[in-house]
Amino acid sequence: MTVGSNVKSCVASIRSIEATLETMMHQNANPEAKKAFSSANEMVRQIKKDLEQQVIRLANEEPQYK
Amino acid sequence: MPDWIRIVLNSAVLVVVLFFLTKWLGKKQLSQLNIFEYITGIVLGGIVAIHSSTLDYPLLYGLLAMFVWFIIPLGIEFLSLKSKKVRDFTQGKSTVMIQNGKIMEDNLKKERYTADDLLENLRSRNIFQVSDVEFAVLEPTGVINVLPKKASQPLTAKDLNIKLAPKKEPQTVIIDGKVMHEGLANMSLNLNWLETELEKQQASIENVFLGQVDSDGQLTLDLYDDKLTVPAPIEKQLLLATMKKAQADLELFALSTKNEMSKQLYEKNSKKMKKVIQLTETYLQ
Repeated sequence: MTVGSNVKSCVASIRSIEATLETMMHQNANPEAKKAFSSANEMVRQIKKDLEQQVIRLANEEPQYK
Repeated sequence: MPDWIRIVLNSAVLVVVLFFLTKWLGKKQLSQLNIFEYITGIVLGGIVAIHSSTLDYPLLYGLLAMFVWFIIPLGIEFLSLKSKKVRDFTQGKSTVMIQNGKIMEDNLKKERYTADDLLENLRSRNIFQVSDVEFAVLEPTGVINVLPKKASQPLTAKDLNIKLAPKKEPQTVIIDGKVMHEGLANMSLNLNWLETELEKQQASIENVFLGQVDSDGQLTLDLYDDKLTVPAPIEKQLLLATMKKAQADLELFALSTKNEMSKQLYEKNSKKMKKVIQLTETYLQ
């Protein structure tokens, strides 16, 4: 596997984390946990954004593996 | 009137009267009765027994005696509710038996407690050595309550500085294959949600004996058919594991890249992921 595809699969799992965190946030009845999940969700969203840009950059660097 | 009818009538009247008297005297459990309440109970019972089985005395005498035995304890109870002094006198005060790890011999003597009695009571509390006890007190009910020394107390999460997520009471949402709407409403969930969850666990509602939702919104089921296994909810463990894996991946990318800018980006996000894990870990266990 190339670096690009490695990072891509990592982004995919981060997307799944984001989605699960969001469901947990809505399901949980405890306000403290809700707050923790929502701020975690926000941070994960930032990570996802960073990495998605990185994926584009890597695709430009290794166009043959696109 | 033949005697047997009078006996039946007397007994019926007395049963009803006794029922109401004991109800008004309160609902303390037998073991919590103090000596005075205990005697009152016995005397009331005795009066009823005599008057419901013999006809030597008129029923009115019995009712009168019962009334007196009812009104005086009630009055004393009322007074002891109002005044601490009366309470100490009628219900007794607790006596300190062990303080700062030292046995109070004078108090022991006052309560006519021998060392053997004390040891026996401590043993029933699973304490076999007096030096493990910080404080012990003999309650008016005759029970000894013990505070062990800090080192002999069981470990708690507080001692270990572990932060635990608060757990609310779970709600029962299915009993005998029927949906409990009240439980669902208490968790602010609806039927749609329940149907999807059941589908996820591949169970039909008729086959569910009991279903409960915990405060994290996880549904656990017990089926009639015990041969079928229901998957236990693993969503939380899975999420934690995925987050840990993503964090490790990011760290690995940071180590393997030679591009300085990418390295920084991976490191920054790996640290962020670590923070996310720390933030949510307590709620995912």
